[in-house]
Amino acid sequence: MSSLADTFSNFVARQTGARSVRVIEFDKLSGGAIQDNFGLTLELEGGDRPGRQAFVVRQDAPSGVAESLSRPEEFRVLQAAFKAGVTAPEPLWLCEDREVSGRVFYVMTRASGSASPRKLVKGGLTEDQRRHLVRRLGAELARLHTVRPPMDSLAFLEMPEANNPALSRVALYRGYLEEIAEPHPVLEWALNWLADNAPEPGPIVLCHCDFRTGNYMVDGDELTAVLDWEFTSWSDPCEDLGWLCCRSWRFGADDREVGGVGDKEDLLASYREVSGVDVDPAVVSYWEVMALVRWALIALQQARRHMSGEQRSLELALTGRMVAQMEYDLLNQIPELEEGQ
Amino acid sequence: MINDPDTRDLLTEAREVLLDSLAPGLAGEQKYQALMIANAMGMAIREIEQRAEGEPEATDRVLSQFLAGHQLPDDPLQGEQTLARALRERSLDGDDPELRSVLRGLTEARLRINNPGFLK
Repeated sequence: MSSLADTFSNFVARQTGARSVRVIEFDKLSGGAIQDNFGLTLELEGGDRPGRQAFVVRQDAPSGVAESLSRPEEFRVLQAAFKAGVTAPEPLWLCEDREVSGRVFYVMTRASGSASPRKLVKGGLTEDQRRHLVRRLGAELARLHTVRPPMDSLAFLEMPEANNPALSRVALYRGYLEEIAEPHPVLEWALNWLADNAPEPGPIVLCHCDFRTGNYMVDGDELTAVLDWEFTSWSDPCEDLGWLCCRSWRFGADDREVGGVGDKEDLLASYREVSGVDVDPAVVSYWEVMALVRWALIALQQARRHMSGEQRSLELALTGRMVAQMEYDLLNQIPELEEGQ
Repeated sequence: MINDPDTRDLLTEAREVLLDSLAPGLAGEQKYQALMIANAMGMAIREIEQRAEGEPEATDRVLSQFLAGHQLPDDPLQGEQTLARALRERSLDGDDPELRSVLRGLTEARLRINNPGFLK
């Protein structure tokens, strides 16, 4: 660990041109099977970032997941989001030279606060604070969605087939489901419904694709950073709005539709104020159904990792047993949407 | 063969010891692990109870009846596979209330084992 701290601190010193560097704190941060995150607080003398500085170093974990972005891709996505005014960690330096630490990594600024969903949802925020935070989430997404293709720096991101993000997702998820031997009639039924009820596609924009409670940092009632950009892709803006509102991410506060924090009306109002786009709530609800299917498939894939012996884990095994919850929500939400039509 | 106390009893008692005696003294990652173990044991206990009540067979029977009524093979061991394939091939009407009721029955039966608190 300490040699890794030296490696990273020397790297930062070189990048900033500091005369000297002292490691104040170095620890491995929790979360992330795909990558390792380290907190690195340094005292820098001279250079262009003098004084005490808190960074996060993100590098590939030994077992990478093929379907998410690589570290260099993630770095470029983060640059685009940061430039668009999204409250994300500032991406500082990418190191693709494996001679330095043995793996590809990048350094970004460290935000204050916590990303813990339980802390946020069960914490003592007032109604006004909740509304403030929900409005902030809407504004962040509105800013992110100003990033549009084509962009040379993001050429590695694929465009949705036939410019229809919903039908592209349905095809992708059907493929995932076919790879799983165990039958899941509810998911088959829901995918048929999603194919038959796909809305007119909106504009294609940069979507975070994992924008939910647990993946943004909050300090008090202020959002300090949107994290976890490894699933970013070109898609429909409502994919992000629907994922954020999906019932699976309310952490027990089911009546607060936006990530267990607040109301969808406030989210969409703030999104409209910043983007000028009036989003149809029915389309967001459609993408909430998509979100349930996606999360069910991710859970099935995680359970498969346990069952195949690739990664024996009680947590992964229990995640497999959660799929019935998403299926139950699908059986309730689809008829609700049909009644509302 | 009689082998008392039975498995359900053993698991129930073990889970109580875990939750009442061990878990309160744990913190952080270890507490999380203890609660995951208790969760898994709870599922195993409920699965045994559901089996004793003949629940899985009852759910399979409803599915078999539905499949037979739709001219599909009604082998109970293959029932869900048959249903999933028929849906994928679009040979069933997704709006059919009977289909939806069968899907709900299967899902609720799983939730009664995995997480009964989730049922509304």
